[in-house]
Amino acid sequence: MNSSISKKGIFTLLASAIFAFTAPAVSLANVKNPGLLVHAADDEATTLDPAQVEPGEGGETIILQVYDRLLDIDPYSPNLIPSLAVEVPTIANGGISSDGLTYTFKLREGVTFHDGSAFTADDVKFSWDRAMEMDLPEGNAGALSDVVASTEVVDDFTFRATLSEPVADFLNSVVVAMVSSVVSQDAVEANGGIEAGVPNEFMAGNMVGTGPYKFVVWNRNENVQLEVNDSYWGENAKLDVRIEIGGDPDVRVLGLRAGEFDTIETDPSFVADLEGADGVTIYTGGLLLEPLHIGFNLNIPEGSLPDGDTIPEDFFHDPRIRQAFNHAFHYEAFLNGPLAGYGAFNPHYTPIGIFGHDPSASVYSKQNYAEAERLFKEAGVWDEGFSVSVITEEGNLFALMCLVLKDSIEKLNPKFRINVLAVAEAVFDDAHAQNPLEYAMWAKNADPAADPNFYMQAYQHPDGEWGEVHGFANGYKDADKIAELIDAAAVELNSNKRAALYKELNEILYNDPMWLIGAQEGVVMAHRDWLKGFVQNPLWPRPSLKFSLFDK
Amino acid sequence: MQLRDYILRRLMVLPFLIIGVSIVVFTLTRVGGSPIGIYLSHEMTPDEVLEIEQRFGLDKPVWVQYLQWAKGVLSGDFGWSGISAAPVADVFPLKLAATMELAAASGLVALFLGIFLGTFAGARRNRAPDHITRIVAVSGASLPQFWFGILLLIVFWANLGIAPIGRSDATVFASINHPTGLYTLDAILAGSLRAFWDAIWHLMLPAITLGYGATAIIARMMRSALVEELQQDYIDAARAKGLAEKLVLKKHARRNALVPTITVIGLTFGFLLQGTITVEIIYRWPGLGRWMAASVVRGDQGTLMTYVLFTSVLFLIVNLIVDVVYANLDRRVTLGK
Amino acid sequence: MWFMQTWIEELLLENKMNERAFDNSHYNGDTAFRVRIRRFGALVGRLCANPTTVIGLIIIGLMMAMAIFAPWITEANVPDPYQMPRDWGAVRKPPGTPGFLLGTTNEGGDVFYGVVWGSRTSLQLSLYVVGSTMIIGTIIGSLAGLLGGWVDEFLMRLVDVFLSIPELIFALAIAAVLGPSFTNIIIALSMVIWVKYARIMRAQVLQVKQNEYVEAAKVIGDTKLNIYLKDILPNAVTPVTVQATLDMGNVVLIGATLSFIGLSEAGIAEWGVLVSEGQAGIASGRWWASTFPGMMIFLWALAFNLVGDGLRDALDPRTEGR
Repeated sequence: MNSSISKKGIFTLLASAIFAFTAPAVSLANVKNPGLLVHAADDEATTLDPAQVEPGEGGETIILQVYDRLLDIDPYSPNLIPSLAVEVPTIANGGISSDGLTYTFKLREGVTFHDGSAFTADDVKFSWDRAMEMDLPEGNAGALSDVVASTEVVDDFTFRATLSEPVADFLNSVVVAMVSSVVSQDAVEANGGIEAGVPNEFMAGNMVGTGPYKFVVWNRNENVQLEVNDSYWGENAKLDVRIEIGGDPDVRVLGLRAGEFDTIETDPSFVADLEGADGVTIYTGGLLLEPLHIGFNLNIPEGSLPDGDTIPEDFFHDPRIRQAFNHAFHYEAFLNGPLAGYGAFNPHYTPIGIFGHDPSASVYSKQNYAEAERLFKEAGVWDEGFSVSVITEEGNLFALMCLVLKDSIEKLNPKFRINVLAVAEAVFDDAHAQNPLEYAMWAKNADPAADPNFYMQAYQHPDGEWGEVHGFANGYKDADKIAELIDAAAVELNSNKRAALYKELNEILYNDPMWLIGAQEGVVMAHRDWLKGFVQNPLWPRPSLKFSLFDK
Repeated sequence: MQLRDYILRRLMVLPFLIIGVSIVVFTLTRVGGSPIGIYLSHEMTPDEVLEIEQRFGLDKPVWVQYLQWAKGVLSGDFGWSGISAAPVADVFPLKLAATMELAAASGLVALFLGIFLGTFAGARRNRAPDHITRIVAVSGASLPQFWFGILLLIVFWANLGIAPIGRSDATVFASINHPTGLYTLDAILAGSLRAFWDAIWHLMLPAITLGYGATAIIARMMRSALVEELQQDYIDAARAKGLAEKLVLKKHARRNALVPTITVIGLTFGFLLQGTITVEIIYRWPGLGRWMAASVVRGDQGTLMTYVLFTSVLFLIVNLIVDVVYANLDRRVTLGK
Repeated sequence: MWFMQTWIEELLLENKMNERAFDNSHYNGDTAFRVRIRRFGALVGRLCANPTTVIGLIIIGLMMAMAIFAPWITEANVPDPYQMPRDWGAVRKPPGTPGFLLGTTNEGGDVFYGVVWGSRTSLQLSLYVVGSTMIIGTIIGSLAGLLGGWVDEFLMRLVDVFLSIPELIFALAIAAVLGPSFTNIIIALSMVIWVKYARIMRAQVLQVKQNEYVEAAKVIGDTKLNIYLKDILPNAVTPVTVQATLDMGNVVLIGATLSFIGLSEAGIAEWGVLVSEGQAGIASGRWWASTFPGMMIFLWALAFNLVGDGLRDALDPRTEGR
């Protein structure tokens, strides 16, 4: 090596340094990336197949853009609007039979898939049957197969579904769900067809739909690119889309401020980082339909609790202890700290923003140490104290909720100890999927749904998903009554009567809580001012955006 | 020992080391329980969990799973990457190119800085510049890179807005073909100046962050080798001939001092490789390190195993090559010790 | 520093460090002891002559004082002092806010508390890891060196396998499998680092074994154990100390990296965790939560590296008089 080489090296370094100073000197006043919408998402998709996607998972939002369903949700209201079906079936227009069992959809004509093939009723039947036949454990096929008894092609543009029993929320919960998306029969059959219980590799990584966007490429862990479908049956989208995946929340915030991203997914704790930023609008409308909650396990297998837990297995069988936890939690701290004030408290278990939520229902929203102390004393655990672990995913709001719980309980009585086990997502999923569950408490959020029946079934019914795992029957003061009310509300077609049933449940469950609901998280999105037509509807899968409505 | 025998012996040990590493890695991932979590969601019934278990062969005894895995690895099937929702073997090469490019660029930064600092210090032994250089070099090895990277980002990205994040501008990146996967090289092959600058511009901060950490070792080696060379007889002879001190330093001493410095390249490589993890996280670099970190946090063991196995094999091979090259360069080295 | 192990082993194999540090030329326990003391004094003298080493020693002194006197500097959190005290009503306060000298984190954690008690956490981490690996490594290395044969062969191949995986990556993999907690970081680091001491110890044993005075001792009729305790173990003190010094810094650096990636536990007063949490606020100018703890990691590692570097110079005969 001689000096001329190193001088060249220094020159190269200098040159690139100078370049770095001059190259990005693009004025921020101009719209960056014209014609392209760059969205920074926080979660990677695991599949793009509607039959495989899990509700709440990152792939859902891409499916929302590329595939159509028979019906859709209006961008500006919770109402249903036609999509591939030309009208919303009602009893009045003959779309729903009077017994509530048969739904007939008149379909749109002249629609083509992105591969050019024509859309007919066969595709609808094929898509629904496909999901039910594949019945992938990770997917949401159950939403269809639980209620749909049969599907039928009446003619090329009429599709009929028959239910096994009347379901009040069939259109709202099933027809608009991502699992009901219409895929191209030709494309699936040309690429592996249907095999029960086995994911279709082509469909997991490719999309052939009818939606306003065509799928271009998925660079795993990097980005997903979509392009405008020029022959869309509805109004064409204006911007191509690139969805940037992952990255730190902080990077998304910085990228938005720098104009590299047009919209970002963020959470309330980042509002402070965005306030006052040039050219950035913070959208804080509404609430997510995924209340943050901590579960009490009433079905702990003997001797399975982590080392250090001193509670007996039947600890949470006592409603007073569950109530005491609910009273002790520092709701204000959680709302004003981690949630930066964006959130609210919902009754057990009807989230704010869906049918059945009654603002006058009793709700835990204030820390009440006196009441908590009284209940803990009554239950006989005050003097001796206890130590209990709560398991959660690390690095997110769930972990923070657990820390608030820890501080709340430990400050109430120093003899009480809460160990927060914040573990990797997969480890948590593993622990969380066990039945019976080997932890006394865990923290996560609820799955989103459009109807109270889902929440009541999944989170409160003694024979429901969690009722079974957590052994609610071991703890409810009157389990039969609760089961009866939930079952009655599920099939009640009169909405006033239905609402009254949920109100009654709210009151019973306030005094016999099976959860500690930390808060219902506020929706926080941020976008560049140059983005026009921004709208967000929490009933769409998270982040609840339809890119085809935007322009810049 | 003959050089040829030495290489042969090293080559013969290599497969055993690799098998050893694979057993250690596999055992490790099973200590924490079954890797099934990444495939599960909490809505699944026990039957569905069983179905998933069977799909991935997780219901078999551990040693059978190991053999299956090893068989797969040998035939190029590294298992399933839960976080990428794709076979590991499909994703790996894409990430690898990005990481190698970053490591190479950082290596260059370290080499330039290290040789410069080492020469500077060695020629001014035990004087103030020597001490200052030492602190500068040791600082590099002591900096938590994740923190140093954040500081650089605060200044150059968040405040001054003159440095980018990521590996490329997506539009520019898409404008050229990528036969090698190395962005700089692809840009040169495509003859696109714009893409080349884009590559360099994105490489700069991460390469400095990572390269500075590896500077100390090269500077250290360079300094002591130079000090040693400067005391050799031939230097005195050169000086006696009336050669200018600067020329003596550059033409003779430094050139010879570079030989022992090569030995540390193997070590430097290992350091750069593991350094890519945090640097890639911070700069949003789409490489193996970030992928690895994401799989660690999400608990994706398929990705983790492949990464550890791969980096170890790479580490072993690079060290072997460096040792052989060095042995060739300098026959004074005793082989096989 | 991460790269200095090779150097220690090299010196050991060439029997240079001991020439320099201690005198092995006489086989007389009494004299040798005095020689050791004298040599040690000389070593300290050489160390103190190096200004960068002195800087390192001063920083280490300050850090240790901070760790030891933490409860007097800022009141311990109840019930667990290693948890950050969180004031949920005072989140994201800038430095200088009354009561929060260095500001607060997103969770209302007092950054000053984290900086001070983080030194205790780091001291614990490094002492546990270095202490346990020193013991494990010494035992395994000694066994390999003393017993020889297949025991040596097996143990050393195991060591080779462990050394084939880059340090941080190995520790990361172990910690990831064990799950996120500070204890698991300690376990992971210990599992990775013991091999260094095993190698050093083995080299030491082999090197002393070759010496004539051990032969002489055998003739006199000393038992193996006696020889080990009287000659081999004391001689190993120097290389092990150098390695331990370097590891004290290195361990905290790697530990903080693991914490940063997300393998520590929630709410703990640890520097790496604080940097990771503080990263979230940088965009809006909340630089303090990551900057101060990060600086502590840097200073900690720098101090031990400077001293380790100084030790190297003081012990390496090749730099004699240079």
